[in-house]
Amino acid sequence: MNAMRILVCFKVTPDYEALREADWAAGEADCVSGAGVAVGGTGVASGVETRYVPRILDCFDESALEMALRMREAAARDGVAVGLGAVAVGGREVEPHLRTLLALGYERATRVHAEAGLDFVPTVTASIVARYVQETNKTDLLMLGCCSGPDDSGMVPFLVAEELGWPCLTQVTEVTVLSDDRVRVAHMIDDGLLRMTVRLPCVLGVGNAVVARLRVPTLTDRLARRDQHTELLQATDLGIDVPAELGRATCVLTRLQVIDRSRAGVIIGGETPRAKAQALFDSHLKSMIEKL
Amino acid sequence: MSLSREAIVEGLHHILGTDSVVTDERILRESSIDRFRMFEDIHGVYTQPIPAAVAMARSTEQVAGVLRFANEHGINVVARTGRTATEGGLETAVADSLVLDGSGMNQILSIDAYNMQATCQCGVPLQVLEDRVREQGLTTGHSPQSKPLAHMGGLTATRSIGQLSTLYGGIEDMIVGLEAVFPDGTVTRIKNVPRRAVGPDIRHVIIGNEGTLCYITEVTVKLFPYLPENNIFLGYTVDTMKTGFEVLREVMVNGYRPSVARLYDPADGAYHFAHFVPEGLSVLIFVAEGPAGIAKATAEGIEAIVARHPECRQVESRYISTWFADLNWGPDKIAREREGILQTGNINRTTEVSGDWGRINDIYESALRRILAEIPDITMAGGHSSHSYINGTNMYFNYFYNVVDCGPEEEVTKYHTPINRIICEETLRHGGAIVHHHGLGKARTPWVKDEYGSSYYILEGLKRTFDPNGIMNKGTIIPA
Repeated sequence: MNAMRILVCFKVTPDYEALREADWAAGEADCVSGAGVAVGGTGVASGVETRYVPRILDCFDESALEMALRMREAAARDGVAVGLGAVAVGGREVEPHLRTLLALGYERATRVHAEAGLDFVPTVTASIVARYVQETNKTDLLMLGCCSGPDDSGMVPFLVAEELGWPCLTQVTEVTVLSDDRVRVAHMIDDGLLRMTVRLPCVLGVGNAVVARLRVPTLTDRLARRDQHTELLQATDLGIDVPAELGRATCVLTRLQVIDRSRAGVIIGGETPRAKAQALFDSHLKSMIEKL
Repeated sequence: MSLSREAIVEGLHHILGTDSVVTDERILRESSIDRFRMFEDIHGVYTQPIPAAVAMARSTEQVAGVLRFANEHGINVVARTGRTATEGGLETAVADSLVLDGSGMNQILSIDAYNMQATCQCGVPLQVLEDRVREQGLTTGHSPQSKPLAHMGGLTATRSIGQLSTLYGGIEDMIVGLEAVFPDGTVTRIKNVPRRAVGPDIRHVIIGNEGTLCYITEVTVKLFPYLPENNIFLGYTVDTMKTGFEVLREVMVNGYRPSVARLYDPADGAYHFAHFVPEGLSVLIFVAEGPAGIAKATAEGIEAIVARHPECRQVESRYISTWFADLNWGPDKIAREREGILQTGNINRTTEVSGDWGRINDIYESALRRILAEIPDITMAGGHSSHSYINGTNMYFNYFYNVVDCGPEEEVTKYHTPINRIICEETLRHGGAIVHHHGLGKARTPWVKDEYGSSYYILEGLKRTFDPNGIMNKGTIIPA
């Protein structure tokens, strides 16, 4: 029996929720190049300093990782075998997450080493992922998050699919394994939710799925799989010269600007909740009711 | 003879008016528990007896009226304000209990910057008080993780402590005077003076009573200058917990008083500091604060002590200040926690104990060893010390487990209580205290007699004297 081979590509990002307000500094970028932003140096507000906050799984990638586990469990009940692999492009901060995935039952967990600097340059990340898929030749279905936070373009799924020549669906919220070469996919479109059956290979960009959190392995799980090792590759192993690619990048960061998301509003006054409710009624609700 | 639920509600209507008596079924269910049973709550399962009503008191007189009514009719009363309790202290263990809620008593009565003390009603959120006194360049010095949510009455009733305790002390060191109402309706006020020697310090009958003796309606706390510009953050990695405890001890014994003095073990540390600490290392954290000269001298003294331990390696202080700025729990983190638990079945629990310097490492090692050996489905088990004294420190066991093969109503009995049992047994065996700052609640009351030993006589006497009818929070502190 053939097994469907799923590869989930994920990213480890700064926990922006943990950033102090002072770390959100807007202004001209200090050093602008294909390598992204170098922060600090001039003392001028020059970027968002993320070095000091914890690293977390990108929330959309986390959804994809958990969805793949659930797909395998469900497929097993239907007699379809599914193999799981995970790959990330990043630094050493990725390693604990790879070990977690091995403990959860992923058979392969690979890091393609990249120092910080690939942010804002989705073409390079996409090339690395696509080349990894081609070189390993162990992937029927590639899943990855649609985007990974404030510094992301959301382009990687499309770019990878283009390089591979595979179809791509994004904003995926649900995937069911039908057979070893077909999946049923639900994905959000402008007018609602579209369900379709897709023949593999394909790329799925996971969006705002209900399955949002990755399960947690027990210490016993970790102990049982402690002999399984993560794999480390360099971009050059895949034939990619990152500095040269960065030099060719056409999209550079030039400026950061705080987006004002504050909403217009009036704070209702009053000594007691009753007085506040009365003020709300008098000033806003009463006239609306009278119009009905 | 006990009253029916309807009669209880009717009686409360007479005392408080109809607007202040809550009988909504959903609210009553949620009022039967606290965070100790949050797993049940998240799954919409409620196993405790549902209270007859939540009484929203607006004044000391109303509190007195409600307590007199309950005392006369033998109605169990559970006192609460901010509802951040974690140890089951807010569970209504008796059918048709009455939950007495003082969150509406939320007035700051005075901020006396000359005498450095502030008086407020029990329902004032600590965050509100802190924000107000900071407008005058002052601070309460109290900073528990629950600061955005907890209220002054509950913080006092549970003997809470904050992250800056090594300098400012626990709530018991901050409370100057207070007002409390006893079950027979007696209103007592302890006046605000710097110190007294007029017999036993009766503030401590009230502080930490967890609603089992009286209802705290007003507190006066000390104030301190707020000088965050002088704060110095220090962080180090250290190879072993034993060395870490030794560094903490030396800092305290040599007379330094950093506001924060913490030691994380590798497991707990990885949860917070994986972005800058290599795996397998423990982490020491200090914050020196106060007037510039004192902060500088404190930091220099700590650095000199740490330098005597070559295995300690300093980390950039901004890692520590950034981490510290995101430590508190507000509604946003609570919501994310609930969502995570619901999706993964993975839940985080803590149990905090204390011991002297000679015992704390043994408590830490033996309890952790047993948890890992005896409890299934653990995903992380570790701990940290976060409150140090001249003679010892606390150990805050921090653990996560997956709830599997059982219903929500079995989570406490399958996992949490067995872990509490291990920690309490090992702490008692080594001569420590089974609760450091969360209060006994109902979760750790089963070990209270072993904790007190012969001094349980005094505790029992207090209960007999001040709550002779046993209406105050049955099952908390004093076993039912």
